[in-house]
Amino acid sequence: MNFFRGVMGGQTAGPQPSGAETIQKLCDRVASSTLLEDRRDAVRALKSLSKKYRMEVGTQAMDHLINILQTDRSDSEILGYALDTLYNVISNDEEEEQDENAQKQADDLGTQFTEKFIQDPEHITLLLTLLEEFDFHVRWPGVKLLTALLKNQGVQVQGIILVSPMGVSRLMDLLADSREVIRNDGLLLLQQLTKGNAAIQKIVAFENAFERLLDIITEEGSSDGGIVVEDCLLLLLNLLKNNSSNQNFFKEGSYIQRMKPWFEVGDDNSGWSAQKVTNLHLMLQLVRVMVSPVNSPGATASCQKCMYQCGLLQQLCTILMATGVPADILTETINTVSEVIRGSQVNQDYFTSVNAPSNPPRPAIVVLLMSMVNERQPFVLRCAVLYCFQCFLYKNQKGQGEIVATLLPSTIDANSISAGQLLCGGLFSADSLSNWCAAVALAHTLQDNLTQKEQLLRVQLATSLGKPPVSLLQQCTNILSQGSKVQTRVGLLMLLCTWISNCPIAVTHFLHNQDNVPFLTAQISENLGEDERLVQGLCALLLGICIYYNDNSLENYTKEKLKQLIEKRIGKENFVEKLGFITKHELYSRAALKPQPIFPSPEQMLFDHEFTRLVKELEGLITKAVHKSSEEEKKEEEVKKTLEQHDNIVTQYKELIREQDVQIQELKEKVSSMTTQTEQLQATVSQQQSQIQQHKDQYNILKLKLGKENQSQSSQGDTQVNGLQTEELAQLREELEELRRQQKLLQTQLSEKDVQIDSLVSSMAMLSCSNDFNFYFLHPLFVLFHYTISSS
Amino acid sequence: MAYAYLFKYIIIGDTGVGKSCLLLQFTDKRFQPVHDLTIGVEFGARMITIDGKQIKLQIWDTAGQESFRSITRSYYRGAAGALLVYDITRRDTFNHLTTWLEDARQHSNSNMVIMLIGNKSDLESRREVKKEEGEAFAREHGLIFMETSAKTASNVEEAFINTAKEIYEKIQEGVFDINNEANGIKIGPQHPTTNSPLSTSQGGQHAGGGCC
Repeated sequence: MNFFRGVMGGQTAGPQPSGAETIQKLCDRVASSTLLEDRRDAVRALKSLSKKYRMEVGTQAMDHLINILQTDRSDSEILGYALDTLYNVISNDEEEEQDENAQKQADDLGTQFTEKFIQDPEHITLLLTLLEEFDFHVRWPGVKLLTALLKNQGVQVQGIILVSPMGVSRLMDLLADSREVIRNDGLLLLQQLTKGNAAIQKIVAFENAFERLLDIITEEGSSDGGIVVEDCLLLLLNLLKNNSSNQNFFKEGSYIQRMKPWFEVGDDNSGWSAQKVTNLHLMLQLVRVMVSPVNSPGATASCQKCMYQCGLLQQLCTILMATGVPADILTETINTVSEVIRGSQVNQDYFTSVNAPSNPPRPAIVVLLMSMVNERQPFVLRCAVLYCFQCFLYKNQKGQGEIVATLLPSTIDANSISAGQLLCGGLFSADSLSNWCAAVALAHTLQDNLTQKEQLLRVQLATSLGKPPVSLLQQCTNILSQGSKVQTRVGLLMLLCTWISNCPIAVTHFLHNQDNVPFLTAQISENLGEDERLVQGLCALLLGICIYYNDNSLENYTKEKLKQLIEKRIGKENFVEKLGFITKHELYSRAALKPQPIFPSPEQMLFDHEFTRLVKELEGLITKAVHKSSEEEKKEEEVKKTLEQHDNIVTQYKELIREQDVQIQELKEKVSSMTTQTEQLQATVSQQQSQIQQHKDQYNILKLKLGKENQSQSSQGDTQVNGLQTEELAQLREELEELRRQQKLLQTQLSEKDVQIDSLVSSMAMLSCSNDFNFYFLHPLFVLFHYTISSS
Repeated sequence: MAYAYLFKYIIIGDTGVGKSCLLLQFTDKRFQPVHDLTIGVEFGARMITIDGKQIKLQIWDTAGQESFRSITRSYYRGAAGALLVYDITRRDTFNHLTTWLEDARQHSNSNMVIMLIGNKSDLESRREVKKEEGEAFAREHGLIFMETSAKTASNVEEAFINTAKEIYEKIQEGVFDINNEANGIKIGPQHPTTNSPLSTSQGGQHAGGGCC
C-alpha cells in the first residue's frame, strides 16, 4: 500500500506508531513540505488511511486538506487525493454491514465533519470553483464530496450554494459532461441539491433541466432504461412536487406531451424487470404531480386538458386494460387515471367510453368495479378502483345519472352486468370491505345531486320468494339494525347521511319506517364500548339530519317532536357529545386531508374524504338546531315567514318589472318597426313627387316643342318620322330637283320637236298629196326617235 | 403550440414597482390591485407574433426585495431579455436603477436586451420621475425605454413585444448564438429550415451595411 511505502519507509526499528501518530506526521508533512511530490505522497497516504482512521483523519487533517485545495490548484493529482480523502471522511455511504449503533455513530461523524467543513462558507465556494476543473480526477471526487455534504447538512449547504453567484448554474453544467460517471453522479448531486428547496428547484428548471432530463431519459431507453432513468425521474419529481411555478413551466414548455411515449407498452407485458417497474412507477407519479387534487384547480384543469389532447390519458387507459401488467403498476395506473379525469368533464366522458377488450366488450368502469367488490383482489387495488370511481363522479352529474340509471326499473338492463348491480351486490355481500366500498361509491353517485337522491328512492330490491320487494333505503337500515361489522355499518351510515342530507323527501322516506328512529335513539343513548363510538356518532349525525332537513310532513316525526325525543331519551348534551365522536376519531383528520382513500390496513378503512366535508358542514348546524328551544324556533320561523313574505313581495315586484320590461321591449320594437315603415313611406312619397316633377317638366318641354314644330314645315316632321338623315335628304332633294329640270328641259325640247313635226307635217301635206303619204308619214317619227337617243 | 423561437425574459427592479402586475397583465390580461409579495421567482408564458413568426416568451418574474437579490442573480445568465422596472411615483426606485443595471451587466451575457420601464403611468398626479429623465437614463445606458401602466394595460404589450423585436433583430444580425441555449434563446421544434438561409441573407445585408 502507498501508505506503508510512504510512511513506513523512513522508519527503522521501534514500536509501531499509532494511527493518530502516523496521521499527525503526515499532516505535518502536508503542511511543511516545500516539494509538491512530498505533499502529494503525504495526501495520498492520508487518503489510504481515511477509511480505517476516519475519525483521526477528519479531526487532524481537514484543515490541511482544505489548505491544499486552496494552494495546490495547479496539480490535479494532489487535488484529487485531497478531495477523495475529504469524501471518505465526510461520507457515510461506504459504511456497510454495520449494526445500527455503529451506523449511527458513523452518521454522527459525517454530520460533525460536514459542520466543520462548512463553518466557513468559502469552502463550499472553493469546491464549486474546483468543479469547473475539467480533469476527471478533480471533478469526479468533487461531485461526490459536494453530494455527501448535501446529504449530511442539506439546508445549510443549499443556502450557501444558492447565494454563491452562478453556483446552481455551474452544477447544472454537470449534466452536459460527456463522461457518463460524472453526469450520473451529477444527477445524484442535483437530487440532493433540489431536495425541499423551491428556490433552487426553480433555478435548476430555468437552466433547462426539464429538456436535458427528458433527453437523457429518451437516450437511455425510457422505462426500459437503467438506474440513470430512475435518477432522472427522481430529480424531475423533486423539481415538480409542490412547486406550482415549475409545474406551470413544465406545462408551458410542452413537456407533458413528451411523457406520452413513456407509457407505450406492448401487448405482452410479462417479465418486466424490477428496474422497469420502478421507472414506470416514478413516471406515473410524475403525471400525478401535475394533476394532483392539491394543486390549484385551474392549473390541474389545464394539465388534464393537455393530457387528453396529447393522448396521454388514452395511453394510460390502454395500460389499464392490458394484460400481464404487474399489480402494483396497475394499481398506480388506476390512481393516475383517477386524477387525470377528476372533475374534468371531457376526460370523464372519455373514460365512460373506454371498453375492456373482453367478449362481449364491457365498459372499463364495470370491469374495475368487479375488482372492487372482489375479496380476492389486493387491498390497494380495490382502494384504487374506489378512488377511480370517485374521481369519475366528481363534479359529474351526467356520470352520476348514468350510474343510478342502471338501478332504476325503467332503464335496468337485465342482460348484462351493470355498475349499479355490482354496487348493490357489494353493499349486501358478506365481505365488510366490499360493503364499505360499495356504500361509499354509491354515496358518490349522490354527492351534491338532488335529482339522483330522489331517483335512488325508487330503487326496489327483490327479496326471497313470496315476500314483497323492499326499497334500497329500507334494506340499508335493515342491515344496519342487524348488527353487522363496524366497517359495514359505518359505510351504510355514511351512505344514508349523504343520501338524506339536503333532501327532505328522502328524510320523509327514512322516517316513514317506524323502526328507524327508535333504533337510532337506542344506538345513541346506550353506553357502548370504544369500538362503537364512531357508529354512535354517525347515528347522531343521521338523526340530526332528520331534524335539520325535516319538512314536517310526517306528524309523528316533526322537527319539534324529534327534538323532544332527543331531550327525553338522550339529552341534548349527550347527543352533541356523541355527534362529536366523529371528528374526534383518530382517522378522521387523515381522511380530511386528501381525496384519495389510502389506509394502512383494511380495518382502518372507515372515513371517506367527501364525507368528512359533509360532517364539517353539518356538525355546527345540527348542534345549533338541537340546542335551539322551541320558542326560538318559533321566532325564527316567524322571521323566516316575514322574510319569505318580503321575498314574495320582492318576487312579485320582480315579476312585475320583468313583465313591464317585456312590454317595453315589445313597444320599443313596435316603435322601431313603425319608424322604419314611416321612413319607407316618406321615401316613396318623395320619390313619387320627384317623378311627378319630372313628368311635369317633360310635359312642358314637349309642349314647347310641339309649338315650334307646328311652325316649322310638316315635311320635316315626316322625314324625321322616316328616320332619314338630313344630309341624305338634301342630296335626294337636289337629285330630284335636277331630274325635274331635265324633265322640263326635255318637255320643252319635246314640244319644240312637236312644233317642228307639226310644221313639217303640214308643209309636207302641203307639198304632196300623192301615193307616198304613208312613207312620209313614218319618216318624221323615225327622225324624232333618233334625235331623242342622241341627245340623252 | 409550435413556435419559431423561444425567448427567456426576466423582470427585475425594486419591490412594489409592479413587476408581477406587468406579467399578469401581459399573460392573463388582468390587473390585481393588492400587492402580493413575490417569493423568489414566479413563472409565466405567452405566445406572440413578430414578422409573421410565432415566438414563445417564457418570463421569470423576480422578487424585488434585497434579500432575494442573490437568488435573482442566478437568472441573468440564461435570459435573452430583461425588463428593468421602476415606479414613476417613487423617485428612490428610479435612483436604484444604476445598481440594478450593474448587477445585470455583471451577471448576464453581453447581448441581453434590456428594456427600461417606468411603470404606473396612470398615476400622473403622483408622478415623481419625469418621462424625460427616464428617456435620458435609457439613452445614456443604451436601453430601450417605455412608460407603462399595468393597471390600464397601456404600453404593456408593446414593452414585451418591442423587447422581443429587438432580440429578433439581433438574431437576424447574427449577434446571438441561437444554438447555445444558455443565451435564453431556443429554436422551435418545427422551425422551417428552408427559411433560415433567407433570414440569414437578410441578416447578412444588415451586417454588411454595418461593415461598410
